[in-house]
Amino acid sequence: MKSHHTRKLRCALPFALRMVGGIAAVCSLLAGAPAITHAASLSGESDTIFRMGLSTSEKRNLYPAYEYLRLSLTDIDDKGAVSFYFGGWGRVDLADRSTDKYADGDLQYGYLSYRGKQNNLLINLGRQFVTEGVAAERFDGVYLRNDFAAGFGGALFAGAAVETEPNFKGESFVYGGRITHSMPKYYSIGLSAVKTDNSNGTSREVEGVDLWLHPLKQIEAVGRSSYNSTTSGWMEHAYTITYAPLDSLRINADLSNINYKDYFFHMTTSALSLTNGILNPNEKVLALGGSIAYTPIKSLTIAADYKNYDYEISRNATKYGGKATFSLPASFVAGFAIHRMDGQQDRLRYSEYRAFASKKIDKLDLTADFFDVNYDKSINGIKNTYSISGAASYRLTENFKISANVDYSKNPNFDNEVKGFVKITYAFNMKSGAEKGAKSEKY
Amino acid sequence: MKNTKILMIIMVPLFACLLYACANTNSMYKAHPSEVQGLPDCTECHTDNWAALNHKAVGFYEKHRYYAEQQKFACSVCHEESFCADCHAHKEEIKPSDKYKDSPERALPHRGDYLNQHKIDGRIDPVSCAKCHGRTNNERCKECHR
Repeated sequence: MKSHHTRKLRCALPFALRMVGGIAAVCSLLAGAPAITHAASLSGESDTIFRMGLSTSEKRNLYPAYEYLRLSLTDIDDKGAVSFYFGGWGRVDLADRSTDKYADGDLQYGYLSYRGKQNNLLINLGRQFVTEGVAAERFDGVYLRNDFAAGFGGALFAGAAVETEPNFKGESFVYGGRITHSMPKYYSIGLSAVKTDNSNGTSREVEGVDLWLHPLKQIEAVGRSSYNSTTSGWMEHAYTITYAPLDSLRINADLSNINYKDYFFHMTTSALSLTNGILNPNEKVLALGGSIAYTPIKSLTIAADYKNYDYEISRNATKYGGKATFSLPASFVAGFAIHRMDGQQDRLRYSEYRAFASKKIDKLDLTADFFDVNYDKSINGIKNTYSISGAASYRLTENFKISANVDYSKNPNFDNEVKGFVKITYAFNMKSGAEKGAKSEKY
Repeated sequence: MKNTKILMIIMVPLFACLLYACANTNSMYKAHPSEVQGLPDCTECHTDNWAALNHKAVGFYEKHRYYAEQQKFACSVCHEESFCADCHAHKEEIKPSDKYKDSPERALPHRGDYLNQHKIDGRIDPVSCAKCHGRTNNERCKECHR
């Protein structure tokens, strides 16, 4: 299957028409879907977005219009086990059609799903994103998971890899699985593997073990170790322990150990390639960090955090700081954060500040956000960069919302950068028999 | 050959389990029984292991990948697939922090002037880049990284 491969568009207009046609076809199919059964329900959301900004590479104004569409057709069968999910977007630039990049789009996911009433049985067929232990893969294929007796569980998946290939060819086929054993009160442990096939001989094979321990209510440990069998080396050990002696106090400690040669094996972008000098394949980093958070009252959290990066080749760096957040559910949230990066290279010495507030007034939401970075040594003659954004959204009806925001930024690349953004959101939920669900998401 | 053996060691017991028995337990709810809005504090109701999924807890953003790797089934009780796709996309042109400006409390990546800052973050912690841009969603990298 070649549909996932990134290609230059020979002609953008037919592509845009195909996108529109495809979306229309899916909409038509789903619009008629409630007739499949009295219990079926169709829900979805459309985000129509207009942006105004400057192309970073070509220094010209762009006015792209986007349509994001997501649809869920659930309870297709009488038992309520079969569902269909679709998500995708299309974009066209309203001002500049001088290049073949003026229109584009993507099918983010589209799969048929069977969910059993017992054993957490799940079968998905189509384009999907699977996360199982060492696997975090998007592919066109099949995914199966089930719980077995005595606390065991398992998952299998296989399909054509969905990857973007701007510089290097990606993988053509991916498959793998995960076995778990858990005692829900105390722990869950998993063994997983993922393997890819590629015609150019750069196949990837990774195995790993993942843990989730919570022996006491106050203590939790999660993490994972991954082994790259292709390079015969450990990619990553990453673990976090949380201790909450009081409901109002949480202490985190985390460790991460990365070997670049094994972790960055065969990326498809040159930005993260080991072959062009950006990343040193012999680099190893041990990152140790921690945080402490105190919640004196339910609406206020104060936290401090620290992280040290200890490199084998590059010079070390430490980031530390604190933040506070005050929130009243569904009406007001505000916060600020201050962090300091102290590295042994000039570029890794800076202070970072952020303050934000968001207030809901009836049907109106107002948000202000300020972000500032102060470098010890100037970059392109600029020591202080900042961005200010203001956003407002108004809910016209229960299903219909319009929002807009403006960003102003001063940074080493632009003296004065202004960006605009308008979003029209329409959400719908047509239930013909099933009880109303609770997936509220962000709208 | 060795690699294939490792894979077989994992796969064979899995199929043996499949053939042997199922748990005969009820599946998790398809959707959370009560409506959840904003960042949920799971400890308000849960006292078992699900309390660890408290989204307001400091460090949850950093730890969410472990929960997704181990319990994506549980994530889907509240989250649509599109929630993951906002960041973990095949192709995406709008930064999550731009798309959801009206949710400043969410830990969304790339706030502020990220064109300049990405050079610093990429040097400090390229692993954090690779989670979303290693093999997918990296077409924009080519504008400069040719």
